[in-house]
Amino acid sequence: MLTLVEKILFVIATLVSLYFTYRGVMKIVGHISSGQGKVDWSLIWKRIGDLIVKVGLFQPVFRFRLGPSILHGLIGWGFLSFLLINLADLIYAYTGFKLLNNTGLFGDVYRLIADVANVAIVGGILAMVFRRFILRPATLSTRDTTLLNPKARTGIMRDSAIVATFIFIHNTMRFLGESFGLALAGHADSWQPSISAVSQLWAGVDANVLVAGEHIAFWLSIGAVVAFLPYFPYSKHIHLFFAPLNFALKPERKSIGELSYINLDDQSIEQFGAAKMKDLGWEQIMDSYACIMCFRCQEVCPAYNTGKLLSPAALEINKRYHFNNGGTSDVPMLDLISEEAVWACTSCGACVDICPVGNEPMRDILDIRRNLSMMESAFPKQLETAFKGMERNQNPWNVSQGDRMKWAEGMSVPTIEQNAEPEILWWVGCAPATDARAQKTAQAFAKILNTAGVNYAVLGKNESCTGDSARRAGREDIFFGLATQNVEILNEVAPKRIVTTCPHCLHTIKNEYPAFGGNYQVIHHTQLINELVGAGKISMNLEGDNMKVTFHDPCYLGRHNKIMDAPRDGLKSAGIETVEMPRNGAKSFCCGAGGAQMWKEEEEGTTRVNSTRFAEAKSTGADTVAVGCPFCLTMMTDASKADGDSMQVKDVAEIVAERMK
Amino acid sequence: MKIIACIKQVPDSEAKVKAEGGQVSWGDAPLVINPFDEYAVEGALQQKEISGGTVTALCVGPESAKEALKHALAMGADEAVLVSDATLNDLDTVGAAKVLAAAIQKIGGADMVVFGRQTLDNGAGLTPAQTARVLGWPMLGLAGQIKVDGGSVQVERVLEEGRQSMKANLPAVLSVVQSIGEPRYPSFMGIRKASKATIPVWSLSDIGASAPAPIVTRTELMNPPAQETATEMITGETPAEIAEKLADKIIAEKVL
Ligand SMILES: Cc1cc2nc3c(=O)[nH]c(=O)nc-3n(C[C@H](O)[C@H](O)[C@H](O)COP(=O)(O)OP(=O)(O)OC[C@H]3O[C@@H](n4cnc5c(N)ncnc54)[C@H](O)[C@@H]3O)c2cc1C
Ligand code: SF4
Ligand code: SF4
Repeated sequence: MLTLVEKILFVIATLVSLYFTYRGVMKIVGHISSGQGKVDWSLIWKRIGDLIVKVGLFQPVFRFRLGPSILHGLIGWGFLSFLLINLADLIYAYTGFKLLNNTGLFGDVYRLIADVANVAIVGGILAMVFRRFILRPATLSTRDTTLLNPKARTGIMRDSAIVATFIFIHNTMRFLGESFGLALAGHADSWQPSISAVSQLWAGVDANVLVAGEHIAFWLSIGAVVAFLPYFPYSKHIHLFFAPLNFALKPERKSIGELSYINLDDQSIEQFGAAKMKDLGWEQIMDSYACIMCFRCQEVCPAYNTGKLLSPAALEINKRYHFNNGGTSDVPMLDLISEEAVWACTSCGACVDICPVGNEPMRDILDIRRNLSMMESAFPKQLETAFKGMERNQNPWNVSQGDRMKWAEGMSVPTIEQNAEPEILWWVGCAPATDARAQKTAQAFAKILNTAGVNYAVLGKNESCTGDSARRAGREDIFFGLATQNVEILNEVAPKRIVTTCPHCLHTIKNEYPAFGGNYQVIHHTQLINELVGAGKISMNLEGDNMKVTFHDPCYLGRHNKIMDAPRDGLKSAGIETVEMPRNGAKSFCCGAGGAQMWKEEEEGTTRVNSTRFAEAKSTGADTVAVGCPFCLTMMTDASKADGDSMQVKDVAEIVAERMK
Repeated sequence: MKIIACIKQVPDSEAKVKAEGGQVSWGDAPLVINPFDEYAVEGALQQKEISGGTVTALCVGPESAKEALKHALAMGADEAVLVSDATLNDLDTVGAAKVLAAAIQKIGGADMVVFGRQTLDNGAGLTPAQTARVLGWPMLGLAGQIKVDGGSVQVERVLEEGRQSMKANLPAVLSVVQSIGEPRYPSFMGIRKASKATIPVWSLSDIGASAPAPIVTRTELMNPPAQETATEMITGETPAEIAEKLADKIIAEKVL
């Protein structure tokens, strides 16, 4: 189809374009590889199935904001199908051979797909433009108080405009070119209904005009690709390469919250945590290129939602704009996120869970905390008490280890010395063991175990804090000490199974102790309750008072460890009517205590995280908030108190124990 | 300026201390730096920050006391010395002062020796003054603020009746109280440095001293009488009602 001159010009244009694109890409490769760790390419093969779902079906995108996700689907799937269409168009341009007209039914169907995709993409992009530029939802930007690269404030919109224009031109021109072709051929193509319909408009137009139109359309459509290619490495739309890479190559994590192991015995380590961007893992640097700047992570972030300075989206965007502005990874992380924001994170994992491209802003934040806490000794002063407690008395409450069994006084709770080979080891946890309110959960659970005749034991004085709070506050050294010691004790006991009355303990023992040589089967107490109900070991008095309960999913139970049915089933088996909060399950909203927030004051904001969540619980009309975590118990109880004790707050174990026959 | 901070190791404040067979026992509670001595180290470090020089932490105690010295190093002390000797059994405060004074001389003297106000376990509060006496140096006790000016030191003491300023020539012995400022929390890097440090252990012969004979002896150790405590929750419709009931109770029980 093209003339010889055009063919030569196009080759030259493509070469120039590829050269500049290559330079842009090599810069990105340089930035990413300045991060820590190595790429494990073999992961791709293990993840093929997962990749099809995530990249082929956009499953992570559809988990949030359904409307825009559908529009994204139209454009995304359209573009996927366009890979072959563009190739066919190129072949036609150079040889005059229409690949898709000469491959039988496959070609026919593909032409139909192309026809539909063409319309879908144009429709999708126009709707997206309408949303972003006319509707301008607040969820697509960040507050003025957020630290955001000044260029990003306008740059994101400009970037969107450029790419929308590109997509629009590329696709409408391809559409028109194809319709000119059909008009030239003089007959409609039933496999390309929309294009055929448009081609009717050109009936009677001079053939020379149509040929010229076909050439112009080619240059504007395929030419647009060539022209825009060098821009892609600077655009957020490079996510279409890096999101798949993210899903394919992210190092394996046992859960979204499993943090990286540091060997504190290794005296040669000079830098702990991330002072600069280059101290992050390579995959964390890659996150900034995968980021599509959708602000979904910000929309679910409990810190942002309560008016704190933290926006996980802004962090990723700042990383990216820093590179785009010519910066290197030798930049202090605190240039990209404020110190106050770093300490506002509850490590709830919502940002990681919701991100459609598999980014992990939380991981960066916790790596920054490691640097602040360990290298700079710069952490909120209130954390000192908890640190000292964990250092001296192996628990953040700084309660003497000798008092660790006080909660069980007057009950028969066997320690491992009394029952050396239990069927299940109960890891009570510091809060249920020492905190006055949480002790009631421990007592309720002990009552359940004793009634059911479970062969169990507790570690008693030998149980220490798992170190979760220390780890999330950046004190990897304290965590290392506690983890090493706990794994040693647990390996000696060699429990068949472990049950915990705290999701943070569960998370740490299950997902983070394997790095210390501790591999155990760990379950949550609500799971064990269900087993006991199922096995007929406990039965419930269903005639009790009619409670209406809403279950608050603890972040480290639901989102981080995917245990969501067990607590609800437990309540159901106690004959309780449960109602759901708008945000539940994996999308549950944090209580505000995680990430060591339990031990410090909240950063300044417009409201408190716990009262926000409490209001949501109250909006369900339930009279009781059920929890499965001692931290949530404290936060929700405090919020209820502040609201004039308007709801009861109870652990699932307490509710079950009360109704047990 | 050369500063020495004297510290002792004591059972953690959370420990359940009991008299057992005439001996003190704290079970398996951890041993920590005497909390009052953290203020001594803090005061010493503050002076070092102002005037430059070095801070040496000094302790008389068993081998395990190295951990307390490491805490001082982690806070920022430059050096640490432990005096440990099997013959140091029945040490009273005069004895402790003699050993400390000999160790201070062995270190090569100092411009200022900073003590805590007392220990958490024995709690005599005498050692600083007695050490000053052995050394023949002036003693400024219970200082809340320290100001060095050339060859002299001035301290502020907060008394119930007001404030008192005292001044003495260096070298001097000081003991400090809480108002010196919250002891700095050891940084991880400080802990790391301290964990690698080798702390010299001196015997009595190393410092040219002999085991001081005790002049005070402990005759009996008793547990405090067990106290019966009961908790009663006062309830009421309104905070005002609760407060009223509480006030009545307090008056009825003759607490006020
Ligand atoms: C009969 C008897 C037997 C004892 N046996 C022993 C024993 O075997 N082993 C033992 O360790 N103690 C023993 N003690 C306790 C010992 O006498 C005191 O710890 C010591 O004299 C200091 O007194 P104090 O604890 O009251 O300190 P205080 O006078 O209250 O201390 C004030 C300040 O002096 C400094 N200081 C005190 N002690 C030391 C020290 N050891 N090193 C450096 N600085 C210090 C600290 O800065 C402290 O804040 C015994 C006491 C008695 C009465
Ligand atoms: S982990 Fe939670 S609090 Fe922290 S940045 Fe992510 S969403 Fe916000
Ligand atoms: S990190 Fe993920 S969720 Fe957040 S703005 Fe970027 S792409 Fe969106």
